[in-house]
Amino acid sequence: MSQTHLEPDRGSTGSTPRWVKMFGIIALVLVLLFVILHLADPDRHGPRRDTQSGEPGGQAPPIAQGVQQP
Amino acid sequence: MTMAPGLRKFVLTAHVTSSVGWLGAVVAYLALAVAALTIRDAQTVRAAWIAMELTGWFVIVPLALASLLIGLLQSLSTPWGLFRHYWVLVKLLLTVFAAIILLLHMPTVSYFAGIAAEMDSANLAGLRGELLHAGGGLLVLLVTTTLSVYKPRGMTPYGWRKQRKESSSIPAPPSHHPDYPEDESTR
Repeated sequence: MSQTHLEPDRGSTGSTPRWVKMFGIIALVLVLLFVILHLADPDRHGPRRDTQSGEPGGQAPPIAQGVQQP
Repeated sequence: MTMAPGLRKFVLTAHVTSSVGWLGAVVAYLALAVAALTIRDAQTVRAAWIAMELTGWFVIVPLALASLLIGLLQSLSTPWGLFRHYWVLVKLLLTVFAAIILLLHMPTVSYFAGIAAEMDSANLAGLRGELLHAGGGLLVLLVTTTLSVYKPRGMTPYGWRKQRKESSSIPAPPSHHPDYPEDESTR
């Protein structure tokens, strides 16, 4: 092995490596999945929605489990 | 821009420490979200939200910013550069993406932590979103760690241009990377 990965690569061709292309495709799919899941999340609430209702805390209905604070 | 060997080692240590610390803190954050979702006890959920908010603002955010800034400093002060190698560029993009999502998401965590602190019942709203964010963050950090260790080959067009320019001006470029011992780089 004349060259290890521990040094800057000086011997490969100038074309985009296959791992970069594969990585780009997988990353794009995962980002799209993240955005879809984020938008579809029924619990998606936060400070931004406060302004819509004008009722602080009113946008995050609790799932009450009947457990009371001692 | 180059650094003295001692300073370079110090910066490398700081970068590894902040990056691994960031990863570990995200795992702890994920454990809190999973515990709150599975135990579903009012006190556990409230405690988890408060702990997640504190961990997020005072551990994860500082470590993420430190990792990004130290990584920038390190790459610009070594022959790897910032835009020369695909693995460095991919790592930079992933880290910037993760840091932006983190900073955009933390106010939401504070919002839910505030609600949880005022409620007497277990509020599970928002916890599934935390699983998504913390899980995604963990995946990104595992990928960046893997890239740092394996350093897959491949130079960007910018890297090729810089290399051609340097090789035409410098008669004998160094055959090893200064961050690594001579015997490893010439093996």
